[in-house]
Amino acid sequence: MAATKSSFSRNISSTPLVQNPSLKQGSNGTVFVSSGIPDLDKILGGGFPLGSIVMVMEDAEAPHHMLLLRNFMSQGLVHNQPLFYASPSREPRAFLGTLPSPISSKDNKGLDSDSEQEKGLRIAWQYKKYFGEHQQNFENHKGNKQEYCNDFDLRKPLERQLLSKQRIDCVSTQDSPNLTHFRDRCSTFLAQLRRNDDGVACVGRIAIQSFCAPQCGYSDMEWEVLSFIRSLKSMIQSSNAVAIITFPPSVLSPSFSKRWQHLADTLLSVKAIPDEDKELAKLLTGYQDMIGLLHVHKVARINTQVPVILEATTYSIKLQKRKSLVLERLNQAPVDGSSGSSYAKSASCSGSSKGGSLDF
Amino acid sequence: MDRSSNLNLLDEAFGFENQARVSPRVLLIEDCVETSGAFVLHHLIKRALSLDGSGVLLFVALAQPFSHYERILRKLMYNIGGNSKSVEQNVIHSYSMVYRVGGFTFSYPLASELLMVLDVHWSGCNLVTQRDNNRLFFLDMLKLVCPDGDEKHNIEGGLVELYGKIQKTVEVSALSEDSRNCITIMIDDISLMEVAANGSSNHVLDFLHYCYTLTSELGGSLVTLNHEDIYSSTLGPTPILHMEYIADIIIKAEPLATGLATDVHGQLTVVNKGIIVEHGSPRNRIRNFHFKVKENGIEYFYPGSQT
Amino acid sequence: MAESICRVLRDGALEGEHAPALTIKDSLHSAFGFDVFNYVFCQLTSNVLAGKSQARGLVLVAFNRSPSFYIDLLKSRGINASDKWIGILDCYSDPIGWKDRLLGCGSTSKLSPEARTTICKDVRDLKKLFYSILELGRGLVGQGKVRFSVAIDLVSGMLRHASLQSVAGLISNLRSHVSTFVLLVADQVSSIFGLIHSDLHEIRATSVLEYMSSMVASLEPITRSANGQRGDLENHFWLEQNSLKGKFHVRLKRRNGRVKVMCEEFHVEQAGIKFTSVSSGNGIINQSLLPKVQFNLQLSEKERVDRAKVVLPFEHQGNGKDLQIYDGRQSLTEGQNETIPVSMEKLQTEADSGKGEIHYFRDSDDELLDSDEDPDDDLDI
Repeated sequence: MAATKSSFSRNISSTPLVQNPSLKQGSNGTVFVSSGIPDLDKILGGGFPLGSIVMVMEDAEAPHHMLLLRNFMSQGLVHNQPLFYASPSREPRAFLGTLPSPISSKDNKGLDSDSEQEKGLRIAWQYKKYFGEHQQNFENHKGNKQEYCNDFDLRKPLERQLLSKQRIDCVSTQDSPNLTHFRDRCSTFLAQLRRNDDGVACVGRIAIQSFCAPQCGYSDMEWEVLSFIRSLKSMIQSSNAVAIITFPPSVLSPSFSKRWQHLADTLLSVKAIPDEDKELAKLLTGYQDMIGLLHVHKVARINTQVPVILEATTYSIKLQKRKSLVLERLNQAPVDGSSGSSYAKSASCSGSSKGGSLDF
Repeated sequence: MDRSSNLNLLDEAFGFENQARVSPRVLLIEDCVETSGAFVLHHLIKRALSLDGSGVLLFVALAQPFSHYERILRKLMYNIGGNSKSVEQNVIHSYSMVYRVGGFTFSYPLASELLMVLDVHWSGCNLVTQRDNNRLFFLDMLKLVCPDGDEKHNIEGGLVELYGKIQKTVEVSALSEDSRNCITIMIDDISLMEVAANGSSNHVLDFLHYCYTLTSELGGSLVTLNHEDIYSSTLGPTPILHMEYIADIIIKAEPLATGLATDVHGQLTVVNKGIIVEHGSPRNRIRNFHFKVKENGIEYFYPGSQT
Repeated sequence: MAESICRVLRDGALEGEHAPALTIKDSLHSAFGFDVFNYVFCQLTSNVLAGKSQARGLVLVAFNRSPSFYIDLLKSRGINASDKWIGILDCYSDPIGWKDRLLGCGSTSKLSPEARTTICKDVRDLKKLFYSILELGRGLVGQGKVRFSVAIDLVSGMLRHASLQSVAGLISNLRSHVSTFVLLVADQVSSIFGLIHSDLHEIRATSVLEYMSSMVASLEPITRSANGQRGDLENHFWLEQNSLKGKFHVRLKRRNGRVKVMCEEFHVEQAGIKFTSVSSGNGIINQSLLPKVQFNLQLSEKERVDRAKVVLPFEHQGNGKDLQIYDGRQSLTEGQNETIPVSMEKLQTEADSGKGEIHYFRDSDDELLDSDEDPDDDLDI
């Protein structure tokens, strides 16, 4: 732990320009903002890099992408970052009422120790890896109210005052017949976040929910939508902002879905998990607590050509104490040697969780 | 050591291990979501700019800004010209300085104009210097959108304009120096050009044809990258087939069947359509090998031969 | 057999008939169509120069490569392209007039056509293209009865810019003796050939061109890949096997209504493409054709016996004795290896029937060995 500590603090000290605790210095001159989910930040090597586009492929059957969106948006608001939110609903602003509230540092610690006692060794591996870093994060900013990444209580709505404090743009994508208006709104929002040499003064977040959903006026204008994403990407690349776009790949043609995926810097997908599946329950530890799966397809490669190779690409989404979101590597349940068939199945499952895709 | 033996596997497959100069040809890099082929592009940038000081590179950027390439190439470039130890150390030294300074600065002015000069010079061998020396012409086309009016004319007009810029640049550099043989035009993402042209791939193909007439006339190379998986679900003729017909060398980056691993990042298949005669008999035209991408270069190795 | 298609192109068109047209067809599985095109182009060129061909000149419509490429190609074969026998219509340098458009915007480089080259600046206008071809051709051979050949190096390039219908119209007008564009007589085209990449177009485009032409040469890989679709690059072994060679199929529509099918193998070498004949090929195709015949071509055993018993009037001299007639052709038929299976069958059963004394064949085997000199050739269908 000492080693981790020293390397970490050196990193901090060598980044004089990043004084803002809501930012984290990455390698190759990138700066991360938090996704709002501590585990996801860890998986992605720090968070979402500024100037990148994150795409989340939705599951047609489950709303897990909303969890990612909510935490991402809340985290931004906690950090006093301007927010741009677009959704295909008629009243996008109503969604802000569902944003989760951060768990305070004190509560969080209680939660951590609680859970450790409660869950025992099963999750210990995960915490061993970065618990120290966590701890340190909290220590570093003890005097400061802000943390790089908060835990959020999904049951508790965000305080009203946070919603009024910051600039929040809400756009409904349902009505407009074309994307010109939307594009203009985006570019006005991003104009305040333009990059310059003075470092990062202000960081913005863009969240676009279910872009190109069938109810959008332009859902059949596939080339226009692509062109929009491309221009958004080029605007983001020159701004201090991150955009997260969720989209339903099943309603796009396969070829266009691939084009979307190529445009993403970071590409994630969420999957529902079958309910009361006895086979799965046998295979995976903690099946009862899982609410879905997260798959990491692509990790942003900004200013570098080296791909990020993750130890695992499929993670289970769990609700800890029914309120805070955690991601865990799929753990294979110990298998009794007597049942040959299930052994073979679990073997293939663990193999795919390492490298390939896990299709359910 | 690494680099002399391993980089050559790709160069060998290209067939330019014996020539210092790149013979006129068209290279097509195909990749997919799982495995990016951009590193081959970076390798070729480095190659084009390191050719005994005479190569000229015209880069049409649709996917990534100048700062991205600049940073990657800076890390790649420091491998060049390190013959004597002292030189190499010098380079490494300046490189690490640069790296740290660069590490702190994370806001880059976007290179948005042709021949725009950044006011900071990091080291002797990087893209900024090359751009100052008129060896690199970086066309930032991230915001290229051909007007999407109803008339077909507009899309064409946008591409004609871009081609005009390229032609002008090529003409100027061909006149001023005797670098005629080494002009290279690179386009980092054809699929994005299709998006810019609002899906009119026919116009993009016209554009490529015109670029091809330029490079073939001057004995240069045309290097393009496209994503193969975009078209794989489409039945019938696709634009990438046209590109494959034009290409002399097709480089295909794919993941391994077993997925990505920390020591093997994927496999490359290089199909060289030209006939390479080696020791009097035509040589293998198809190569397949694994690769591992690193910051300062790429390791290539045949399956199983990795140490 | 690759020579035989060159021979047909060399011999050219008959008075008042369509000029022979060759379509070379390839795909990415065996993408050597351009090598075949160059082979045919060089063969025809040397024929034109030697004065052996009907055509006295050649118009090359260049989509795929620059005119200088072809001039260099000819030079490498020791042919000087500066003579007044070749004209190149350059559809390569500025096919849709972009360079021309940029001239007005301060571009300095003006296209300077090389000798014997005309630049086409709008390939979408096929009417104009047609006149340009005629004009170039007449420039070579003059107005009158002297003919010239037309080579289109990439019909696919033409199809990308113009509709299939108009391309078919252009080819048809070039081949036919009367132009439908105007009453200008275009009776000067001796032969025409071109290359098409079949997988770049809908199947219809390829079939239209095959329909339009009198010869189709298609290039195929030696072995078909398992899935036959794109994504074959995974199959390295298969690729390697086909990397420099392939099968060359020719279907030659003869004037008498028959189709001659030939198959060869080719190897691509640095010097060019080489053809080697393959033994099997013809037989397979014939067998596949035969069962399709609906009516009975063979005699049953009884019919055969009955037939053998018949004594034809001129085969006896009234004395009731059989007459032995020496059949000079018998040795010929035995040595024949291209006999069609029907007559083969007949020969064998007759020998088995026991009687076997009369070996007289009526004028049934008038198909001669050398079918190149077909007696029915003047029969125009």
